[in-house]
Amino acid sequence: MTIIQNHSDTQLPYQNQYQSVQADAFHGAGSSDIDELIQGNPKLWRGCDMAGQGMHGRSTGFPQLDAILPGRGWPEKGLMEVITPHWGMGELQLLIPLMRSIVEQGKWILWISPPYLLYAPALVQAGINTDQVLVVKLDTSCKDALWSMEKALQTENCGLVLAWQNWLPTKVLRRLQLAADTGDTLGVLFKHHDSEHSPSPIRLKIQDSYSENVSFNESEVTVIKARGNFRSLSANINLYQQA
Amino acid sequence: MKDPDSEAQLPLPSLAPESGAQIIQLPARAKDLSREQSPSAAASKESIKPIAKRTRSNSLWYALYLPQLKEEESAQQKKYLDQLAELMQSVSSTVSFHPQALICEVRSSLKYFSGIDVIHQKLQKLIVEQLQQWNLADSFSYAASPTISGSLLLARSGHNALVHRQENLRSALGQLSTDVLDLNKEQRRRLHNMGIRYLRDIWRLPSDGLCKRFGSSFVNQLNRALGKAAEPTHNYVPPPTFVASYDLPYELENLDRLLPIADELLAQVCDFLRRRDLSTSSLIFSLSHEKRDSTEVSIGLRVASRSQQHLMLLLETHFDKLSIPAPVVAIKVEVKRLDAFFAKSDSLLKEEASGSASYSDRNLIQFMEQLQARLGENHVKSVSNAAQHCPEDASLQLDYSEKPSRGGRTIMPAEATANPRPLWLLQEPKQLNINKGRLFHRKPIAIVSGPERIETHWWSGVDVCRDYYIAREHSGSRLWIYREKNGKKNWYLHGFFA
Repeated sequence: MTIIQNHSDTQLPYQNQYQSVQADAFHGAGSSDIDELIQGNPKLWRGCDMAGQGMHGRSTGFPQLDAILPGRGWPEKGLMEVITPHWGMGELQLLIPLMRSIVEQGKWILWISPPYLLYAPALVQAGINTDQVLVVKLDTSCKDALWSMEKALQTENCGLVLAWQNWLPTKVLRRLQLAADTGDTLGVLFKHHDSEHSPSPIRLKIQDSYSENVSFNESEVTVIKARGNFRSLSANINLYQQA
Repeated sequence: MKDPDSEAQLPLPSLAPESGAQIIQLPARAKDLSREQSPSAAASKESIKPIAKRTRSNSLWYALYLPQLKEEESAQQKKYLDQLAELMQSVSSTVSFHPQALICEVRSSLKYFSGIDVIHQKLQKLIVEQLQQWNLADSFSYAASPTISGSLLLARSGHNALVHRQENLRSALGQLSTDVLDLNKEQRRRLHNMGIRYLRDIWRLPSDGLCKRFGSSFVNQLNRALGKAAEPTHNYVPPPTFVASYDLPYELENLDRLLPIADELLAQVCDFLRRRDLSTSSLIFSLSHEKRDSTEVSIGLRVASRSQQHLMLLLETHFDKLSIPAPVVAIKVEVKRLDAFFAKSDSLLKEEASGSASYSDRNLIQFMEQLQARLGENHVKSVSNAAQHCPEDASLQLDYSEKPSRGGRTIMPAEATANPRPLWLLQEPKQLNINKGRLFHRKPIAIVSGPERIETHWWSGVDVCRDYYIAREHSGSRLWIYREKNGKKNWYLHGFFA
């Protein structure tokens, strides 16, 4: 334990809570023998280095994001919140690699009341089989949408459930979380506003990136909360690799 | 529905002694027995004889011959006969089909109806009514005798005769013309050349010679008519139906309380299905109210099932959404459709995700049914792409039920997919403003790449002629925008790359 502290104090800038940390910074700094020793031991927990906590997540397809998520990727099951100030900020691009891997597993993706029409040619371009995509229409009542979401999360055939719901009480979120745990399913809630007390294990935010520069491609993705992580980390990711 | 011969398994000692004699006289059987005269065969002969005899001499077959059906097609004939057979079930439990004729066993119901006349009147009324309903001639001929073929021949001749005892059959049938027999042209010609006009002429001929000249089937036909040979029949089996109901001891307003009772009824349904090796794809629950029309809950399944758990789950889902106008006093369940049951065998080893596709498909179907039961048929859509140039038409939203099967998917031509397409498409393109010389949505927009010209539908009058660009809003989101080539050359937002 002492070794870790010494190491962290000297090498890692984890005291600064608000500094946005590039994942590459860790790897650049830790080339010493001690670092190797620590990285090699899965039983050690190191507060700020998410990358060092083994590989039990599903890769996000974005190395920079993997580096700041516990388990180096999306969790296998549970609830996740993606917060964007508007719809269409790249939140779906963020999940495309995940969707692809889920479809390849033979599981289904359920879209619950998406705000716009889901465009099939784009799915085909992204390599997602449209046969395994189901959409619950937008004009479904909130109650029915939540009911469908719970049922879908409990069903093992659905690998991913995407829902667009802005305000959900904590009680409902807890219930969805339980459903996701029973069905081994990942649920993603898309929202406009962050709520601090949300029980979801992962909350991500895609920031407005003000830039006049047209060629500037990177969006800033912040992990506001992730179970196993004690502060927010962010990474700049080029979400529109395909586009 | 039981075959008379299987009924004969019942030992009836009181009838046994007097009936022993006749069966030995059957020529075919006597021959068989002489061939294998082992002690066991002799022993079994003693036990079987009286039984077979009893059914033969004691039954009375009422035949109904409808010559007007001859002109109908065979499928239509079968349909008519099926319905008439259902009517005939009101007097007898054994109804069998013959060409243009139906035959039922009435000896067993003679006492109940107090005589053959009553039975005949009852049937006549029912059948004439039914025939009139179909706009068919309402006449038919009938006859009753101790053998099926005998009754059939008598009815065909139009004699409307009643022969009570088997001994009298020979003389009764003897009066009939040979035309009533099922013969081919050659046989008919030969009979005519031999100077045989009536059946009684045949009775005088030796059966060995007849067998040689006309074949054994001809002799068998006569033997059956006289009660000397067994008469296998094709009996009418009514289609299985299931209706069960339960009267509540007190009125119920809470549907949750009704669920245990519905569960009981479903258990009966599933039991019924299991016994007949069937499954169902449509059920109707009706909840009766005092002084009101009953509420009906119809449960439809995509894949026929007989799983109580699954049906219960669907019912619960329906009940969740149901509002009843009044308290429920009784509940009834009816199976609307019966399907064959296809069992799936479990694999020996518990397989991982890749192997258990059929199982998971079934799970998914159950989930979809539940979803549709709750949300309504057209709220769950599947998406599919179509080879269309017009961006709006390139993506289809289909109902889950009309989804094309796997593999039959239309695949977009490669050149059309080369250009990036957005994940979100707006229902209606939204016009963009121009602010200080720059395109503006929520924030200023800068064009990243383009244009991609899409020109189509020129033949339909509302031609589409647009230059599409990929643009970047200053908040960071990627937009799919276009400019009209014609008209006011306005800019529109059509989608988000999201």
